[in-house]
Amino acid sequence: MPCFAPPTTLAHRLRAAARRMAAPLAAAMMSALALTDLSAAAADDPGLVEIRTASAVASTAPVFPQDLKPRTVRLPDEWAETLPQADGPVWYRLEFTLPASHVTPSPLMAAYIERACSTAQVWLNGNLVFSGGHMTEPVTRSCFYPQLVVLPHALLNPQGNLLDIKVQGHALQHVASRQRAGGLSAVLVGPHTLLADLQARHTFWNVSLVQVISAMLVPVGIVMLGMGWQDRRSPWLIHFGLLAIGWAALSARLWWRDPPWDNATSEFLVCVGFGVLVALAIQFLVRYAALRSTKLEIGLLAQCVLVPASLALAGPERLYTATSGWYLLLSAEVMAAVTLYLRVTWRKGIDGRADFWPMAFMLMGVGVLVLVDLATQHGLVTLLPVHVLHFSMPLMFIAVGVRQIQVFGRALQVAEASRNSLESRINEVTAEIERNFSQMAELRVEQVTEKERKRIAADLHDDLGAKLLTIVHTSESERISTLAREALEEMRLSVRGLTGKPMQVADALADWRAETVSRLSQANIEADWRSPTEDVHQQLSARAFVQTTRILREAVSNIIKHSGASHCKVRCSIGEHDFVLVVQDNGKGIPMELDGKLDRGHGMASMKHRAKQMQGQCLVESGPGYGTVIRLTLPL
Amino acid sequence: MNKILLLEDLPEIRAWVKALVTQVFPQAQISESARVHDALALISAERFDVALVDLGLPDGSGVDVVAALRDTQPEAQSVVVTIHDDDDHLFPALQAGAFGYLLKEQPREHFVEQLRRISQGEPPLTPSIARRVIAYFAAQNKPQERPQNLPHVSLTDRENEVLLWVAKGFTLPEIGTQLNLSRHTIADYVKQIYRKLNVSSRAEAALEAQRLGLFRR
Repeated sequence: MPCFAPPTTLAHRLRAAARRMAAPLAAAMMSALALTDLSAAAADDPGLVEIRTASAVASTAPVFPQDLKPRTVRLPDEWAETLPQADGPVWYRLEFTLPASHVTPSPLMAAYIERACSTAQVWLNGNLVFSGGHMTEPVTRSCFYPQLVVLPHALLNPQGNLLDIKVQGHALQHVASRQRAGGLSAVLVGPHTLLADLQARHTFWNVSLVQVISAMLVPVGIVMLGMGWQDRRSPWLIHFGLLAIGWAALSARLWWRDPPWDNATSEFLVCVGFGVLVALAIQFLVRYAALRSTKLEIGLLAQCVLVPASLALAGPERLYTATSGWYLLLSAEVMAAVTLYLRVTWRKGIDGRADFWPMAFMLMGVGVLVLVDLATQHGLVTLLPVHVLHFSMPLMFIAVGVRQIQVFGRALQVAEASRNSLESRINEVTAEIERNFSQMAELRVEQVTEKERKRIAADLHDDLGAKLLTIVHTSESERISTLAREALEEMRLSVRGLTGKPMQVADALADWRAETVSRLSQANIEADWRSPTEDVHQQLSARAFVQTTRILREAVSNIIKHSGASHCKVRCSIGEHDFVLVVQDNGKGIPMELDGKLDRGHGMASMKHRAKQMQGQCLVESGPGYGTVIRLTLPL
Repeated sequence: MNKILLLEDLPEIRAWVKALVTQVFPQAQISESARVHDALALISAERFDVALVDLGLPDGSGVDVVAALRDTQPEAQSVVVTIHDDDDHLFPALQAGAFGYLLKEQPREHFVEQLRRISQGEPPLTPSIARRVIAYFAAQNKPQERPQNLPHVSLTDRENEVLLWVAKGFTLPEIGTQLNLSRHTIADYVKQIYRKLNVSSRAEAALEAQRLGLFRR
């Protein structure tokens, strides 16, 4: 992974990641500011009238109650502050005079109500011109929807128009979030085209965008779930997938304005949903940091149960207090998990740091948003015109999701690469094993053969050897004794040919020399042996050694028995691929037989035969009175 | 030479060897045995001057008898009498303390001659045995291959020289001529070589036994 990347690449990657992750945050902030500016700018337009005061009276009456004494309020009127106990409906009466029209005919007029929470009906000069939805439970939930009310020309007076707005909402204690407590914003009156534009923009930022982004979260979450399902070693992917889908589900409240249940149930569900989401978020962070704690898991699970239980216990009258407490606690938990995650990731060293910065940017962004939201909830900050949290959080999730996909993709690449290297390694090892196996099999065969040869050798010595030996020493006939002795020597040589290892030519020459010289000396024949003693490194197979020994022995025996020589010269020369042994005596030579061939009784035929067996040759030159020369050439 | 041990399992061969031994040592009292077990019993009961030991016996190897004799009666001279002429069989016997070897199938006069030479302190030495001895001492002189605490036995330059000549196939008389030394001096060198081979092998064996003992404990 990145730990192998050169530092420049790493830094580059970090910067790129930071840029990527910072972008949505910046966009969110900028757009919020831009929108605030936009509203302000619109208010300054000379064609628009901004109504900032109203007479308000809480009443369920079907029309503006004339009998009750209204109080004058400044708009926006937040019930959380002005009417903490009111659940509505509250009647507002706004008076306005149309701005002088610059164009004829006068354009279509409208009233723009940025926020009428939860919903409202509007009367113009006593005529119902707009209804936002159900005014009784389940009340339509339109807190985040700006309303545009068309003001028909026919109903407008040039002077002193009355705009009655009946707002149905909920007391702060009956909702889980200050943003959904009842209230009415300032009202803008002006040309419909201008205000429609304003409404469209506001709707886009507060509703449509959130809807789109939240909708995007669903496929991201599904992809995460799929990845987590595939890769069981990354359980955080499951948590993250559930978190994304859960958030998207919770965001559905923004466009599901008419759920079939009452406000208390909605608020209850949202708060419970947040408990679950926080549990998932914490699990994701902890598991992503490669940590695991069963206690934590049990705790989170218990919390998920505890949230609805405590809310039920607190009752609908203290919903806000209870949820505020929970939100504070949940936020603190998320912050703690974020801190833990960042700490662990940082400590992982350079490898972890590649992951640290992008995640740190995003998580710190989350932290800021959560703090802003908490401040809003507790009235420390006035309600922002745009709910940044609503669309920046899903953006954050998408960014994290993309990061996860990136990590997953890279892991796939790495897995593929390591699978390939593993495969080639396996092939190598397999080849090696096969090689070793065949070597071992050969070795085994050699061992078995060796063992068997040794056994045969031992048997030959013990049985045949002992019997031959007995014949040697018990036979009355000297001829039989000699034959048996020769047979014994033959047997010994044969066994050596069977069991012996290849030997150095130099060693073989030494053995032959010792035997030849001592035999000749014992027969009082002067021996003159010359052979190369240095720089002989060739090897001789046991069989070649044995056969050559036999030939040489035979030759020496012939000299001793038949030649009557007084001197014997042995010369040995070693070439690259063969060696030559020349045995020459000064004896009487080998008598020719009638057929012109050399005497077979002297074993010449067997010497030649043995030489031939070894792809060599044995030449005998002899003439009466000229001695004998035996020239033996054998391949090495 | 008055007490001789003869260890041979084949009765005919034993009789043959006994006859030849009597020829060389007419005064000798010969104790015969056909098994390693019996020979070991005889060794523990009596003292011998010479032991003629066969290697391949029904109940074991004559090498054990050679070793036992060296341990209990170092002055006794062990001579291996065998059908095996290869150094794989002979070298261990020489290491165990044998002072020479005789091949069983030799003609009577050769056998007698060789036995006489050995008893007079002229043991035989073939090129292949000489090569084994050279290799053995070469390994002994490599400090990394030699176990610690092993008494260092090394050959003199002359002994080495003799060994090298033998290994090249020169007969002892030839070497005597070559080095301008008498036959007896050469024989003395060969005796020393055998003795040192035995001493070194013995120390090595003792150390090996000690090591095995330590492991067993």
